[in-house]
Amino acid sequence: MPVLSVRDLSIDYRTRRGPVHAVRDVTFDLEQGETLAVIGESGSGKTTLAVGLIRLSPRSARVTKGEIRYDDGKRAFDVLSLDTERLRRFRWADCAMVFQAALSAFNPVITIWEQFLDTGRAHGMGDKHKVHDRTRELLDLVHLDPNRVLRAYPHELSGGMRQRVLIAMALLLDPRIIILDEPTTALDILTQRAIIDLLRELRGKLGFATIFISHDLSIAAELADRMLTMYAGRIVERATVEDLFYRPRHPYSVGLMRAVPRVSGALGSVASIPGSPPDLIRLPRGCSYYPRCPFHVDECLQQDPPLLRVDTPDHEAACIRWETVAAALGSDAEAPVAEKLA
Amino acid sequence: MATITPAQGELQVRTFQRSPLSRIRGHLGGLWGRPITQAILKAVLTVYVTSTITFGLIRLMPGSPVEIKIDELMQQSQMSYADAAASASGLFDINLNAPIHEQYFEYLGNLVHGNLGNSFLSKGTSVMSIILSVLPWTLFAVGTGLLLSFVVGIGLGLIAAYRRNSLLDHAVSTGGSIISSVPGYLIALLIVLIFGIQLRWIPITQMRGAFTSGITPGFTPEFMGDILFHASLPITVFFLTHIGLWILSMRSATLAALEEDHVTVARARGLTDGRITTAYVGRNAVLPLVSQFAIAAGAVVGGAVIIEQIFVYQGVGLRLVASVNQRDYPLMQGIILMTTVCVIVANLIADLLYSRLDPRIGRAGGATGK
Repeated sequence: MPVLSVRDLSIDYRTRRGPVHAVRDVTFDLEQGETLAVIGESGSGKTTLAVGLIRLSPRSARVTKGEIRYDDGKRAFDVLSLDTERLRRFRWADCAMVFQAALSAFNPVITIWEQFLDTGRAHGMGDKHKVHDRTRELLDLVHLDPNRVLRAYPHELSGGMRQRVLIAMALLLDPRIIILDEPTTALDILTQRAIIDLLRELRGKLGFATIFISHDLSIAAELADRMLTMYAGRIVERATVEDLFYRPRHPYSVGLMRAVPRVSGALGSVASIPGSPPDLIRLPRGCSYYPRCPFHVDECLQQDPPLLRVDTPDHEAACIRWETVAAALGSDAEAPVAEKLA
Repeated sequence: MATITPAQGELQVRTFQRSPLSRIRGHLGGLWGRPITQAILKAVLTVYVTSTITFGLIRLMPGSPVEIKIDELMQQSQMSYADAAASASGLFDINLNAPIHEQYFEYLGNLVHGNLGNSFLSKGTSVMSIILSVLPWTLFAVGTGLLLSFVVGIGLGLIAAYRRNSLLDHAVSTGGSIISSVPGYLIALLIVLIFGIQLRWIPITQMRGAFTSGITPGFTPEFMGDILFHASLPITVFFLTHIGLWILSMRSATLAALEEDHVTVARARGLTDGRITTAYVGRNAVLPLVSQFAIAAGAVVGGAVIIEQIFVYQGVGLRLVASVNQRDYPLMQGIILMTTVCVIVANLIADLLYSRLDPRIGRAGGATGK
C-alpha cells in the first residue's frame, strides 16, 4: 500500500506569455519506507513537483489536474482537496520537507529553540517540556549538541549544522514522508557526505518514506531505492536504481549518466547533452526530447510517447526507440553506461 | 651605527613592555573596542562641533539684542538714540563687547558644567529652566503623533503588502505617498484655514497654548483631557506628515520579508498564518523601521518649529522663534543645542535598540565569536 499516490498531476505557472507547463501528467507511487529519487536537470520540474506535493507552490502556480492521495493506513485523503486548516496540519506532521536553501531556512532573528517550539505548537504539542525533550532527542540523533544549538541564532551555526537542524526539525512530528529538495546542494563535499550518511542512518532507524529531489546522480544513487527521471515536466523513465544506472532505456537518462564524471574514466568520457530543454510554454509536437536526442527518427514527432514497459514490469521509459537504445548500450549489464559509451 | 650590547637591548625591550603608557592603552583598548564607547565619543564630538557652529552663526546674525531693544524703545517711546541706548544697556547684564574668543571660551566652560547661561531678556532666568518648561510639551505632542503614525502606518503597510495589487493596496500606498509629500506646515495651515476659519468646526483660538490657563495641573482627568485638547492639532499634523512614510516603508519591507525563504519554510512547517505574519514576517519587516523611527523622533523635535508657530502651541519651537526675534543669544544657543542633542540621543538609541532587536548585529564579533 503506497503512502503517497500521485496520479496525472499537472502544474502550470501563469505568465504573460501564457501558461508554463512545469509539471505534466506525473504519476508515481511512494511506498512506505522507501526512497524515491527524482532526477533531472534544472528546469525539468523537479522542485515544482516537490513543493506541489504539499501545495506550497508560489501564487502563480495552479494545479490543472490530478490527484495526490495520502494514505498512512489510518487516514486517507486527497491532498488537493484539503481545506486550508487541514492542509496546514498535513504539512510537516504527515509530510515534512527539507529545503535546498537550508542556509536561509530559519528566521534569523529568533533562536533555534523558539522555532522548534513554534513548529510543535502549530501542531498541537502544547506541552513545552515535551517539545523540549523531543527536540533534544532529535538534535542528539543528528549529532548536534542540543545545549549549544538550542540557544543559538541561525547565523551562529554553520551551513552543515543548519541543514542538520532542519532535518531534526523535519522529524519533530514523526512524519511518514520527508521530501528532500536538493538537501546537499549548498554544502561542501565533506559536509554533503556527512548529511547523506546521516539521512541513511535516520531512514534506517525511523522508517519514513523519502522523496529525494536531486540533480546529483551519485548522491541519488546512494540513497534511492527507485528513481524517476524527469524531463520538461514529465516523467520519462521510472526504474530501480540498478536498472537506471546499468540499463537506462530513455536517451535522456543515458545522457544524464554520461554527464557524470567518474573516478575511473578518462576526462574525455564526460559529455554534456547538447541543446537545452524546450520552451515549456510552446511545447514542440511529439517527443519533447526530440531536438537533443541522438536516437531520434521522424516517427518521434508524431506524439509525445507514453511510458512504455521495458525489460521488466518495474521499468518504464517514455521512448518508442528504447530497444534501439538498449541495443546501442549492449546487453552486458556489468559496466555502468558511461564507460560503455565512452 | 650604534651598537647595542645584548644587555642593553634586553633592557629596552623590557621597558617598552612595561611602560605605563602601553598598559593604559591595553586597558582602553578593551573599552574602545566596544561599539557603545565609540558611539558615545562620536556623540560628544558632534555636540561640540554643533555648539561651536551655533555660537559662531548666532554672532554673525545682524543686530545684537541691545540694538533690537534700542530700536524697540525708539519706536515705542519716541526716545532719542542716546537715551534709548542708555536705558537699554541697563537692561542687560551682558558684555557683548568682550572679544569673541573670550565669549566662546566662557560659553564652552559653562557648557562643560552643564550651565547654558541665563536668558538675556528674562533676567535671572536660566536657559535650562526655560527649556525644561517648554520641552515636555513638544515631546508630548511630537511623541504622541509619531507613535500613533508608527503604529497605524505599520498596520496599514503590512495589510497593503499582504493584499498586494488589491484595491486596498493601491488606495493605501497612493494615499501614503501623496500625504508624505505634503509638508507639515501646509497641512497645518490648511487645518487652520479650512476647519478653523472657513468652516469654524475647530475652535482654534481656544486651542492655543499647551493648556487652558486657570486649570490646575496634575494627573486629573480634566487636566489630561485639556492637554490632549490643546495638543490635538499638532499631534494630528505630526501624525499625517509621518504616516505615509511608515506605510510605504513597512509595505516594501513586508514585501521583501515575504520573499524570504524562511517564510516559505515556516509555511511548510504548518505554522498558522497568524504566527507567520507576526513572528516571521511582521517582526522582521519592522526591525529596520525601529531605528528609522528613533531617527525621525529626534528630527521632529527640531522640525516642530513652524507647526508650533502656526497653532501657537507652547513648545520648544515657539520659544525658539521668539528668542531669535529678540536675539536672546543664550536661549537660542540652548534650544538649538538641545535639538541637536535630541537627534544625537535618538540616533544612539536607534543604534543600541537595533543591535538588541536583531541578533545578527549585536553579537557580530561578540562573545560567541562566530
